[in-house]
Amino acid sequence: MSNYVVLSPATHKNTHVLTERGEAQGDSIQYSLIYPLEFRNIQSCYPIFFSKSGETGEFFPIALFGFENNENLFLDENGWSAAYIPMMVERQPFLIGYQGASEDDLKPIVSIDMDSPKISEDEGQALFDKDSQPTEFLKAMMTKLESLHHGHEHNKGFITALTAEDLLEPFTLEITLDNGSTNQLMGFYTINENKLQELDGSTLADFNSKGYLQPIYMAVASYARIRALIDKKNALTK
Amino acid sequence: MKNTINRIVIVGGGTAGWLSAGIIAAEHFMGEKSSSSNHNFHLVLIESPDIPTIGVGEGTWPSMRSTLKKIGISETDFIRECSASFKQGTEFHNWLYGKDDTYTHPFTVPHNFNETNLAPHWQQLREKVNFANAVNPQSALFEKQLAPKNIATPEYSFHVNYGYHLDAGKFANLLQQHCVETLGVEHISANMTAINSAENGDISSISTDTHGVIQGDLFIDCSGSKALLLGEHYGVPLVSKSQFLFNNCALATQIPYQNSEDPIQSATLSTAQTSGWIWDIGLPTRRGVGHIYSSDYTTEERARSELLKYIAETASQDAAADATIRKITFDPGHREKFWHKNCVAIGMSSGFIEPLEASALVLVELSAAMIAEQLPANRKIMDLVAKRFNEKFLYRWDRIVDFLKLHYVLTQRTDSQYWIDNCDPSSIPESLQELMDIWQYQPPWHRDNYHIDEMFPSASFQYILYGMDFKTQLDPRFKRTDRETADRAMGLFMENAKRTEQLVSSMPTNRELINKIYKYGFQKI
Repeated sequence: MSNYVVLSPATHKNTHVLTERGEAQGDSIQYSLIYPLEFRNIQSCYPIFFSKSGETGEFFPIALFGFENNENLFLDENGWSAAYIPMMVERQPFLIGYQGASEDDLKPIVSIDMDSPKISEDEGQALFDKDSQPTEFLKAMMTKLESLHHGHEHNKGFITALTAEDLLEPFTLEITLDNGSTNQLMGFYTINENKLQELDGSTLADFNSKGYLQPIYMAVASYARIRALIDKKNALTK
Repeated sequence: MKNTINRIVIVGGGTAGWLSAGIIAAEHFMGEKSSSSNHNFHLVLIESPDIPTIGVGEGTWPSMRSTLKKIGISETDFIRECSASFKQGTEFHNWLYGKDDTYTHPFTVPHNFNETNLAPHWQQLREKVNFANAVNPQSALFEKQLAPKNIATPEYSFHVNYGYHLDAGKFANLLQQHCVETLGVEHISANMTAINSAENGDISSISTDTHGVIQGDLFIDCSGSKALLLGEHYGVPLVSKSQFLFNNCALATQIPYQNSEDPIQSATLSTAQTSGWIWDIGLPTRRGVGHIYSSDYTTEERARSELLKYIAETASQDAAADATIRKITFDPGHREKFWHKNCVAIGMSSGFIEPLEASALVLVELSAAMIAEQLPANRKIMDLVAKRFNEKFLYRWDRIVDFLKLHYVLTQRTDSQYWIDNCDPSSIPESLQELMDIWQYQPPWHRDNYHIDEMFPSASFQYILYGMDFKTQLDPRFKRTDRETADRAMGLFMENAKRTEQLVSSMPTNRELINKIYKYGFQKI
């Protein structure tokens, strides 16, 4: 379970964050929420699919790291071996929210998950210096959190556009490994390429102006990464 | 003589009229959205601005899901606009002994029903677990007011089968809007002043007070119990079924929830009274409650006081004191035929019977679907279609009467003449008596069906029979009771118990799910 508390120099003077990645740091995740703004980077490493929230039924895009629960095929003895790590993974163990009297007067509120395995008292990166000022590490993290917040709004519009045009479809991926065992990946959704090809000019122009068109094609291109993921799995089960 | 059937005129705009319009229009190219230009199919609905709709039929069957999907209404819109909730079956109270007895008729058929008949194997377990709970997880959801699906389940899909409870007035409005704006149905608000005949006795047109004369090739009578076309114009008589089903009056009211977050029931509650029964239907916004009874066995005053007592017990004394009660009377039965010449009746114009198994709306769906799918190509073929339609729906009415009567004949109540007379052999249709004689030795299953599209599957008969403690003496010569089959059945009972546990622990309450639908809506996939 998570235990988020508002970040403050007073409470978190001695708090450190471990930046190594691995099973012990809670990185054994099968997939992560991602944002359309990072699809270009994502598709160079991971397949992009869509999943449905059990809480709201709404769709969200994900990068796939494994074929089973808690399986992250990118973790090895060197940590997380990939050229790009999704923003939602990077932001751990922080969270950003906004508070204020009016829309124009919102201040970012950063919280930290004190139950995260990434938290340490003496190892890793400090959050505040001796003068209670944010360290370079925390400043860089704040920048990431802010772009995450913008990505969130953009993502909402992206998903609304996809569902309005019926561009998502459920699929089942059946994988046969070299050792003969089969894995079935269910409950994810992909871009319906037939529907995509049928989109008219004005919809395409609209998508393009809103920054939705490129991520759609990035998602389609990312399916090529499934092969690489299967190869990783085969290497493990040999 | 013009032969093709191009213009359909529906008279009456309640739920029956608009639902029929939607079903027929969705099956044919009409209006602006049509892809072919050389057709001239046209659907008109005439609705009197002065006659209020009666607003019965607040419960549907699961068939309503596919009907709505076909008409092209999103489930999210439907649930939001019609104050709809999920109906997963019926829960019967006091039907057996008159005190503290309960059984259920869930919409989902018994586990593995297509391959295995669990009813004979349950006979050995009857002291330990009731039939519905032994064979199906759905009834366990009723007790906790749980939903048949969750917010991530696509629209119209389910974990366990369901229909709806709905606000009939709002439903007619939504259907009207969709029919007119999307399906190209022409809506005329006018009073009918005359029915004009052709030489062959067909209805040629209808005169109205504000919209002149409206021509048509086929007229659908959705004018309610008055049956203005089929009954008044053609004089097709009503066939009474009151010798089998005694109820002919209803006292209906609406009860507010004490608290806006009060639980919404998963099933229609049906509680037997001295000379009838009380329905209790939970919508998100209110409860619809009513007492349906026989005026031959009790007085309105007594029926009213039983209803008020029920409201006081299940809501509050205040709710009982504030209740505005509306009385409806009816002659239980149906028209001698439903399609005569070029006129066909759908809804209360075709007949009405107590809503014990919510058969009113499903008959509208089935009638309109048959008209939509088998729309006569021309006038010559219409008489044949009409003949087949009449045969089919007379058969269906008989099955409804049989099935409803089954709920009464199994009672062990003798506390009033009403229940005693209900068990009198002279009040039992022969077709039902035959089935009951057979069921003494073998449980109902697929072979009991005569038709591929029976209204009530044999599963429904099982739920009523074994819910009401009917005893079936198994014939030991049958292999089906041998060890191997018994072991397989035991495995199925275990699977069902596991699935029940899993569903009960994972499904949201109806209230939670409805709130989420208001906020997020369902996804289409």
